[in-house]
Amino acid sequence: MRILILAVAVLLVGSNLATLSAQLRGFEIGNKPPEIKLPTTRGDTVALSSLKGKLVLIDFWATWCAPCVNEQTELAKLYQKYKQSAYTNGKGFEIYGVSLDAKKSNWEDFLVTNKINWIQVSDLKFWRSPVAKTYNIQGLPFNILIDGNGIILAKNIHGIDLEKEIIRFLIKK
Amino acid sequence: MKTKVLIFLLFAITASVFASYVFSSQGQNDPWTPQQLLAPADLAKVLNNPKAPQPIVFCIGMDAVIKGSINVGPAMKAENLNTLKQKLTKLPKDSQIVVYCGCCPFSRCPNIRPAMKLLQDMQFTNYKLLDLPQNVKVDWIDKGYPMSE
Repeated sequence: MRILILAVAVLLVGSNLATLSAQLRGFEIGNKPPEIKLPTTRGDTVALSSLKGKLVLIDFWATWCAPCVNEQTELAKLYQKYKQSAYTNGKGFEIYGVSLDAKKSNWEDFLVTNKINWIQVSDLKFWRSPVAKTYNIQGLPFNILIDGNGIILAKNIHGIDLEKEIIRFLIKK
Repeated sequence: MKTKVLIFLLFAITASVFASYVFSSQGQNDPWTPQQLLAPADLAKVLNNPKAPQPIVFCIGMDAVIKGSINVGPAMKAENLNTLKQKLTKLPKDSQIVVYCGCCPFSRCPNIRPAMKLLQDMQFTNYKLLDLPQNVKVDWIDKGYPMSE
C-alpha cells in the first residue's frame, strides 16, 4: 500500500513538472554556453566572451515579462553589492542582460527609467531571437551563472538562491 | 512512518495542483470556454492549406510571429484594445476570428483576457483563443508551424 501511494505521488509530481524540467535540459553545469554577440541600445555589439575573467550572470528577460521586471530591482542590488568582489574563478561580477523585447522604445525606456547600469543587449526579435533557440529557452525569466573561464556554475536560480550561489564563489577578504 | 507518507502525499498533490494551474489553459474566471481554445496544430493545418477558409488572426501581443496575422499590439494597453475594436467593428459577427499573444504562460498573460472579453462583449459568435499555454516559442515556433516574414 505504501509503495502504491509513493508511486502515485511520484507520478503526479513527475508528470506535471515535466514542462519545468524541460527548461533545465540542454546546458549542464560544467559546460561552456554558446557565444552571444548582440547590440546594446546604442548599437555597439558586446560579446559574452568579452567578459572573460569575471563572474557573469546571463539574464534573459523582457519588459513584457512581469517576474523579469520585478527581478531587475533585486539584480540591481546584487550588482551594486558584488561587482567589485573577487571570486574563486574570476575578478568582478557582471550581468549580461539579454532582452527578448520586440520594441526598442519599450526596452530603452525601461533601462533609462530604472537606471539599469549593467550590460544590456538585444536583437529585438521577441521569441524569434536566434539566441532563445540556441539556449533552448522555454520561458522567462531564465538565467545562467558562469565563471571567469566561461564555465556554467548554475542555471535558472533566482532570489536568495542566486545570492547564495554568488557568495559560494566569493573570496572573503 | 504512516504520517510521513501522508505528508509526502499531501506535498505531491499540492505540487501537482500548483503545476497544473501554472500551465493550464483555463482559469476559473477566464473569459473563454475550453471549446474556444484552438489547438496550434489545427490552425497550422488551416494556414498551410490555401484552399481552406482562412480565419482572421489577430496578434494581441508583442509581435505577430504567425503567418498572415494582423498585429494589433498588446491588448493590455487601452489604445491597442481600441485598435482591435475598430477592426472588429468592420467585421460580421459570425466571422471566424482567432486571437493570440504567446508572451507568457496563460496564467500571467496580461493581453488575452482583455481581447477575449472584448470579443465576448461585442457579441461575436465564432472566435477562438489560440491555445499557447506556455508561450509562442514553445507552442508554435519550436513546432515549425508557419511564421510571418
